[in-house]
Amino acid sequence: MITTTALTKSYQRMPVVRDISLRCEPGTITGFLGANGAGKSTTLKMIVGLVRPDRGTATIDGRPFVELPNPTRVVGMLLDASAMHPGRSGRATLTIAAQMAGVHPRRVEHLLDLVGLTDAAEKRVGTYSLGMRQRLGVAQALVGEPQALILDEPANGLDPEGIAWMRTLLRDFADHGGTVLLSSHLLHEVQATADHLVVISNGAVVAAGRLDDLLASSTILVRSPDPAALAAALRAAQIDYVAGPGDALTVDASGGRVTTEVLAGVARDHQVLLTELRQSETNGLEQLFFSLTAAKAATQGVAA
Amino acid sequence: MTTSLSRGTLGIDAAPSSPGPIPFPRLVRVEWTKATDTRASRWLLVLVALSTAGMMLAPILAPARFDQTYTGYLDVASIAQVILVPVVGILMLTGEWSHRSVITTFTQEPRRIRVVSAKVTAALMLGSGAAVFGGVATAAGVGLASASGRTLEGTLSVGDITGYLLYLLLNMLGGVAIGALLQSSATAIAAYFALNITIALLGTASTLIGDWIDTATTWTWVLYTDWGGHVPQVAVSTLVWVVIPLAAGAVRTLRRDVG
Repeated sequence: MITTTALTKSYQRMPVVRDISLRCEPGTITGFLGANGAGKSTTLKMIVGLVRPDRGTATIDGRPFVELPNPTRVVGMLLDASAMHPGRSGRATLTIAAQMAGVHPRRVEHLLDLVGLTDAAEKRVGTYSLGMRQRLGVAQALVGEPQALILDEPANGLDPEGIAWMRTLLRDFADHGGTVLLSSHLLHEVQATADHLVVISNGAVVAAGRLDDLLASSTILVRSPDPAALAAALRAAQIDYVAGPGDALTVDASGGRVTTEVLAGVARDHQVLLTELRQSETNGLEQLFFSLTAAKAATQGVAA
Repeated sequence: MTTSLSRGTLGIDAAPSSPGPIPFPRLVRVEWTKATDTRASRWLLVLVALSTAGMMLAPILAPARFDQTYTGYLDVASIAQVILVPVVGILMLTGEWSHRSVITTFTQEPRRIRVVSAKVTAALMLGSGAAVFGGVATAAGVGLASASGRTLEGTLSVGDITGYLLYLLLNMLGGVAIGALLQSSATAIAAYFALNITIALLGTASTLIGDWIDTATTWTWVLYTDWGGHVPQVAVSTLVWVVIPLAAGAVRTLRRDVG
């Protein structure tokens, strides 16, 4: 079980992470989704004590990470696969981790086999491809036989076969009762792996819940030749909406209060002509995610 | 390659183990391994050994210019070591910041002060190893000189050997301390030599600096076991070069966010 409460961190007064609360249950995979620079890595590093939060707490199995006597026996991590000594062989790297964790040296060979690096075990990590380092990082995360895994962008650098392998491995881990928290900037990646989803943007959580619920279409598209009149009618009826796509409006229907029928009634009451009224085809999550990443990219473009 | 995990691989179905803290000797062993198991670190240690052995040829080949005594030969052994041993110490403390493997180390042992202590301990062990090697090289040099028909004066007392060991360990700690403080290999090595040269130059102008800060003077008294009246100077220079930067470096290490 991994939990965080209102984790907050600023660098040079720039907020990077704002009030992030997570709860990852045993037996589940939680996807932590956000654009590059949204604060995912900083959050994960606060959970494992590498970065000190300004406010908020994080616990693993009810205890702060830094109070775990031998943390890698409880939670395995892959935070940065390039943060390894390039002059050490894969086997030596893993052996050092095994020594620290206090596990049997035999486990090193077992893990090398598991991640498919037995043949490359004697080669120096500096000669490894990113995908190979990522595999070594997974082996390192598993070295202490942990009950939980925290992985930052584990799919980075993996080929399609490697990504499929990683999914199977994580699913297996969760099915055996393990807790997995993994971050990604790719929606489809998380969609294929996770049961739970936490979406962050600019350091704050913007959506969270079961993947199935979030993926269910929860918006209604409504179009009028007079969008301004339609918008005014919705505001008068206290119905939340966002502009788009095109000149249409998208209405949040997740609460169940707002249905196509309700919207038709509002239009009739305000004498607004409707030309289109239907459940959105594109799922809300994808739309949300793309609007967030697009907004982010736009601000970055301006800044550059 | 296995795609499915056995229960043994995951270990999560096993009875929850509550392993105790990582024993300190294990941390030291790991730090010792890290300091000696890469190609770069081995070359550095070989360089220390070769330059020590190489220096030993000097008093044998040019007997007129070196004291033909046991302690004279031991001094020669220290000349090369005192330049390179601090570099070993610096790299032991900075290497993991430069390669960013601190991410792994500090998540395996989040009590960072224990990691720093283990690194310092391993550095002292390596320094002692260098001293033993220096002793062996001296013995070989003396043996060669004797074989060439020269008779060397004097003997090596326990005091001489202790002085030599302390001298090397102090220089090792000087490197360790600046490495702990600056946490970057290139910066720390450059700063170490620049500071030493600057202090040595200032020492020629001011005896205050020369006798109290310049370790080339004060720690040499330790090498020659010339403690008479020098204890305060040795203490002050050690405070400045070892205690203060090491303490500040430990605090900085504890506080630093690992990005």
